[in-house]
Amino acid sequence: MTTPTLAAFASSQEDVPAPWTLSGADAAGPATAAASHPGARTSHDTIGGSSVSFEQVSVAYRGNVVLKPLDLKVEAGEFLALIGPSGSGKTTTLRAVAGFVQPAGGRIRIGDVDVTNLPPYERGLGMAVQNYALFPHMRVEQNVAFGLKAQRVEKSLIAERVQEALRIVGMTQYATRYPRELSGGQQQRVAIARALAVRPRVLLLDEPLSALDAQIRRSMVEELARLHRELPHLTVLYVTHDQSEALTLADRIAIMRDGEVSAHGHTMQLYHRPPNRFAAEFLGRANLLPAVVETPVNATGVAKVRVGSFSVNVSSSEIAPGSRRLLCVRPQNMTLQRGGSDLNTLTGTLRSVHWQGELTHLALDVEDTPVRVVLTRPDALPQTGSRMDIHFCADDASLIPEEAHA
Amino acid sequence: MPDILALRLHAIPRARNAGWVALPIVVIAGLFFYPLSLIVRQAFSGDAGVAAIQPFFSVLHSRYFGHALLSTIEIATAATVGCLVLGLVLALILTFVPFPGSVLVGRLVDTFIALPTFLVTLAFTFIYGSAGILNSLLQQYFGFAQPPVQFLYSAWGVIFAEITVYLPFVLRPLLASLSLMDPSQIEVASTLGARPWRVIRQVILPAAFPALIAGGSLCLLLTINEFGVVLFIGAKGVTTLPLLIYSKAIQESDYQAACIIAVINIVLSLGLFGLYRAAARRLGA
Amino acid sequence: MLIWSRSERVAVWAIAAVILGILFFAPLAVIATASFSSQWNGALPTGPTLTHYRDVFTGENGSAIKASLVTGLFASMAALVMGTWAALALRLQGEQWQKRLGWLFFVPSAVPSVSVGLGLLVAFSQRPLLLNGTIAIVMVAHFVLISAFTFGNVSAGLSRLPPDFEQVASSLGARPAYRLRHVTLPMIAPYLLAAFGLSFAMSMGELGATVMVYPPGWVTLPVTIFSLTDRGAVFSGAALTIVLIATTLLLLLGLERISARTMPAAR
Repeated sequence: MTTPTLAAFASSQEDVPAPWTLSGADAAGPATAAASHPGARTSHDTIGGSSVSFEQVSVAYRGNVVLKPLDLKVEAGEFLALIGPSGSGKTTTLRAVAGFVQPAGGRIRIGDVDVTNLPPYERGLGMAVQNYALFPHMRVEQNVAFGLKAQRVEKSLIAERVQEALRIVGMTQYATRYPRELSGGQQQRVAIARALAVRPRVLLLDEPLSALDAQIRRSMVEELARLHRELPHLTVLYVTHDQSEALTLADRIAIMRDGEVSAHGHTMQLYHRPPNRFAAEFLGRANLLPAVVETPVNATGVAKVRVGSFSVNVSSSEIAPGSRRLLCVRPQNMTLQRGGSDLNTLTGTLRSVHWQGELTHLALDVEDTPVRVVLTRPDALPQTGSRMDIHFCADDASLIPEEAHA
Repeated sequence: MPDILALRLHAIPRARNAGWVALPIVVIAGLFFYPLSLIVRQAFSGDAGVAAIQPFFSVLHSRYFGHALLSTIEIATAATVGCLVLGLVLALILTFVPFPGSVLVGRLVDTFIALPTFLVTLAFTFIYGSAGILNSLLQQYFGFAQPPVQFLYSAWGVIFAEITVYLPFVLRPLLASLSLMDPSQIEVASTLGARPWRVIRQVILPAAFPALIAGGSLCLLLTINEFGVVLFIGAKGVTTLPLLIYSKAIQESDYQAACIIAVINIVLSLGLFGLYRAAARRLGA
Repeated sequence: MLIWSRSERVAVWAIAAVILGILFFAPLAVIATASFSSQWNGALPTGPTLTHYRDVFTGENGSAIKASLVTGLFASMAALVMGTWAALALRLQGEQWQKRLGWLFFVPSAVPSVSVGLGLLVAFSQRPLLLNGTIAIVMVAHFVLISAFTFGNVSAGLSRLPPDFEQVASSLGARPAYRLRHVTLPMIAPYLLAAFGLSFAMSMGELGATVMVYPPGWVTLPVTIFSLTDRGAVFSGAALTIVLIATTLLLLLGLERISARTMPAAR
């Protein structure tokens, strides 16, 4: 797979009109047709992908609200991960974009086009699902060609697109095989090729790695990351319950809970400065200690808070003294090394040590609050039951509101 | 530009889809429900087509009808019980004490469903008939004057034949249900000290219960409606409702009586059918 | 796994062998043997002969085979189309309609077949449609009885089809008709084939409705077998029965072969 080919994939989007057409639009003639369907380029869209906007989109099922009115914008070319526990509404959101779920209210736009009332086959999307859904009675190349044939793309173009798509996912030599002859990871790659072949404006991935073994999942995550790097203009909506996948792959993350977005932002930002408790605990592990603000934020953006009997420096935005907050520190950001004077120190009692190969987990009690520390080197650990100091720097800590939702 | 698209109400067009069901419904209405309504009409009309309830009751109270109704119910119940018992035994053996070829046997039994019901009856005539194998052997070796085994030409013959014919209908759901059972349940039960009989009673049977109910109600329905077996056995004094319909209509040309009996038979069948559907729904079929 | 000792296992197998033997294999063997015999008074038959089989293919018996096969094929094909159409159409309507209307298509199999025949007789012996005494009425009777079965089979197959496939096909741009032809139907093809096979078998063995409506020139195998045995020609009846079974099994086997060969990927 060579870069020129991928560049060709990305840039040739402009040469070839998107293969889907709306029923009736054909009659108006090719010029008008090209101008009046979502495939047409407008000044608002970047080459390749479209933005996706949710405007007050809500979904109800049998009287129960499954998705509360949602306002969300996914920029063109962005990789957004929708994560959350089961029942949080993330899959419903994805299926609303695909058109399998009719919103009770609100509008969904892909690019500039309001697709709320369009059937799935007119939205110009590509989709891969958890159990691949490869058509068992078709070979790999026929599967990949399916969308192109269904949308009546020119025959000469189909073969080319199929080859391209298979090249991108690295499955060219399996073109004539049947799905049942492939492993899970291979099938998923073919499913993604099938979705890419139709040059979708948005790629929808519904827990694509959940059905795979842990080993394969790891390599597939790397594959998806590579895909995103090499197709930077493709908008991707990725649903998963696995936060590590989201952390690795996504540009932005939306954490969902009980049918609404609990936190939303750039991945690293969300991770380092979680806006609420749920986000802090869902995205990685977090130590949360009750704190009261002592000194307001100084010139360097550092505030002083009181955690039990300890005084701790935290980087924070403007905050009033006396406010109650939760001090959030990730376990891996704590260390046993004494460092410079700018390091915070907490003293606690060591309760247990769990060695896990790559990592060692320590569980401490710091004045009745459990704190976890993760080390890569289990050197010089005191006995359980004894007191020990742990350190972290102000930059690695943040303050989050006490209530569960933002 | 894009607003034109917003106007296109292409939401899942339910209204359009409804049209597709029309044809099959019209066909089934014309070829089945319409004739059915005519049967009902004929059953309740007297001479000159006037609506009359009298003929209905006179058939209902007649000796031959009562006898046929009783026979039908007795035979059907006995056959169903037999099917359930034997079906359970066979299903247990085929699933839990498998022998080489038990899968093949299971499939063979399945194939029997495709065969006509009178096949078995014909064979039984050869085996259990007055001049059949069993009687000849018994007479030869034990010197009976008269053929000792005469059950074939009675209700028992019909019951026996129906058990053979309808056993697969109980066996199939049972086999399917038992094969879905988690074998580790039985292994754990055995580890805990339960003997086979207790395992069957307390672990397997409860799990197989829905399949038994579904299979049993299907069996009951089918045996109530069975015609070929009773016709072929042709025993005097063994008349079931379907056979009565046939003889009234074709042999005696008494169409009104035939329709009346048919109405009762159909009501009975539909009731059982409802039972079967309810049972099958519980089974999750 | 219930029985752990070898001796107990052998005993249980013996029970199974007895039950299966009495119920299934003996009847089949007996009829096969009878079809080849001229006399059977006593424990064993005498006079092995092929005359019964020779007679089978001549005269009225030969036309019985034709009548059964033609009726079976036409009725099964029509029933398959109708049953599939109904199953697909109802599925489009969603669960509620499926439950409410589904039973409509099952009812013909729930009532005694003689009543179906009686109904057809009563309905079509008068205007507007006079079918009494025609071949068509036999075909209609078989069609009505079998449709319920094909509908049930295809519905069951459709319900086992995960919705993912059709949804992904939709998202890739396939309109409903395209999707039906290229995704749904190929994926339920095994069920369609199986339904066809079994409904053909049912038609071959159908007696109750046929005996009510058949015209003199179109006597199916089961009716012929009955009249033969009724008037004492049991051996000819046995031979004809074997022909019936053989035809049915051959067709089922043939269908299975076709299924295995053309749709290996669909499994």
